[in-house]
Amino acid sequence: MDETTTAWHEFSKGFILENPLMKLMVGLCSSLAVSNRVENGIFMGIAVTFVLVFSNIIIAAIRKHIPDQIRIPIFIVVIASFVTIVDLSMKAYFPAVYARLGVWIPLIVVNCIILARAEGFAYRNTVFNSFMDGLGMGAGYTCVLLIMGFIRELLGTGKIVMFNTQLISLGPFNAPAIFILFPGAFLTFGCLMALLQRYEMRKKAVLEVAEPARAKEPAQSEEVA
Amino acid sequence: MRKQILHLGLTLFIVGLVAAVGLGLTYTVTKKKIAEQDRLSEAKAAVDALPGVKSPSELKLDNALAKKAKKKVPEVQKVYTTSKGTIITIQMKGFGGPMVLAIGIDKDGKVAGVASISNKETIGLGSKALEPAFLDKFKGKNGKSPLEVGKDIQAITGATISSKAVTNEVKTALEAYPQTQ
Repeated sequence: MDETTTAWHEFSKGFILENPLMKLMVGLCSSLAVSNRVENGIFMGIAVTFVLVFSNIIIAAIRKHIPDQIRIPIFIVVIASFVTIVDLSMKAYFPAVYARLGVWIPLIVVNCIILARAEGFAYRNTVFNSFMDGLGMGAGYTCVLLIMGFIRELLGTGKIVMFNTQLISLGPFNAPAIFILFPGAFLTFGCLMALLQRYEMRKKAVLEVAEPARAKEPAQSEEVA
Repeated sequence: MRKQILHLGLTLFIVGLVAAVGLGLTYTVTKKKIAEQDRLSEAKAAVDALPGVKSPSELKLDNALAKKAKKKVPEVQKVYTTSKGTIITIQMKGFGGPMVLAIGIDKDGKVAGVASISNKETIGLGSKALEPAFLDKFKGKNGKSPLEVGKDIQAITGATISSKAVTNEVKTALEAYPQTQ
């Protein structure tokens, strides 16, 4: 594989192949909590992507100088610094969103997606690939939040409101609030995961008919996870 | 061995130092803006609480009155005086955490409006107790009005605790009101 395909692979794997929420199943706690509105998903997605990209870059850049024994404390210091930067900036420039996301922004520090990418990827890969990995993982995370937010907000409140404008309305109907509460998060997430599994199983079945030999090969995995 | 410990310590120290400098810079840049945003959001809620007041510039923060009212009613946070009446901000416990409301009281001692400054009520359930449909029920109430949830104020289904919290804060503001005159 040449360099561009590698970089593209590192970016695109975050969407389906190794989607942090759907496949690796890390960082679920905060994503279930904030995915009750599309708008929350956008800002949480941006915040997580920012932290992921920058902590990946920094850790990949200094990876050769990090002694093995103290790598975790160093990762945490780097991650916590970027989270605090996001936290303070959001408080200063987007106070309304900050009020809604509240405690979940500082809690990005302990979001396993970021530590997992630092330990599993950035610590062993080049700066550019780590940047692509962070970007892809962040984008994959954001996509899932947006889909979940869309379903939950639409079913739970009967409308989609973004930046103080109503985009979609289902008209006057008594929306079941369960969808924007925690049970709705589990229901939506479970259904989405089932759909993805079904899609992948079908794809595999089609492949097996077309090219029986290739489908049996284990999925290619390049980096150490 | 000693050399290794020194090396580890030094590495951690440098990483920590760089991080601290970066954070210090961010903090300095955002500090003013954050304080400004906090003040703005509070002033905006205060303006919403008293119809007739159009901009935050008409509000006058009265610390002496707030101190006086706090002695009798410790939940009082701030007292704003305007030409249209008084705005009292109250902090009490809601369902999800602290709930801060601004209660506007007109010259006759009647509630003119209620607005939320900050709250942690559940979105979709408790948050309904902070929407105009519910808050408008308090308009015209005064210190003598009976304010009992279930009897005088109909609580919102699924948001009984939040409804009670809002009612209690309005009641508390009315209790504190005589101290601010």
